[in-house]
Amino acid sequence: MSVKVGQKAPDFEANAYVDGGFKKVKLADYKDKWVVVCFYPGDFTFV
Amino acid sequence: MASVAARYKELQDLGVEVLSCSVDSQFTHKIWQEVELSKMVDGGVPFPMLSDTGGNIGTLYGVYDEEGGVNIRGRFIIDPDGIIQAMEVLSPPVGRNFAELVRQVQAFQHVRKTGEPTPAGWQPGKKTLKPGPELVGKVWETWKIGD
Repeated sequence: MSVKVGQKAPDFEANAYVDGGFKKVKLADYKDKWVVVCFYPGDFTFV
Repeated sequence: MASVAARYKELQDLGVEVLSCSVDSQFTHKIWQEVELSKMVDGGVPFPMLSDTGGNIGTLYGVYDEEGGVNIRGRFIIDPDGIIQAMEVLSPPVGRNFAELVRQVQAFQHVRKTGEPTPAGWQPGKKTLKPGPELVGKVWETWKIGD
């Protein structure tokens, strides 16, 4: 499975750290908004 | 992530929400924020840091590296209809260019608002193209590289 531009972004749900607390975040929570999703290899890495 | 956090306001001003995502747990995100990120950026990372243990989200987006067990550096711009408008994937050792992210968001927002395609290297205020039969073969007359 892989994604393409021009196609629907797959929805997901994840545990997140935000504003000092923990909560569940779903892409669907951001309906009608512009969203940037950034993946990165890991916390405490250097780039 | 710190570089995105440092200039997060520019994205907020464009109405953009940011979600970062790695295979680390939310608890590791918390510690990273407290011991390091908050010292690199005033207030630390202001957007949700998602935990993708197992790489399920990364797999959905084609950026999970099974061998390394990590998500590689993929960045997706998703429009208000939930459509992916842009994606950029870098291998781990090279970091992203924040200015180019902002430029792409501005360009996609312009296209969404006006329907006018933006030529290479477009920045807000620069010339756009009006597609139509009369433009075929005549782009050179209306737009020069660097315009």
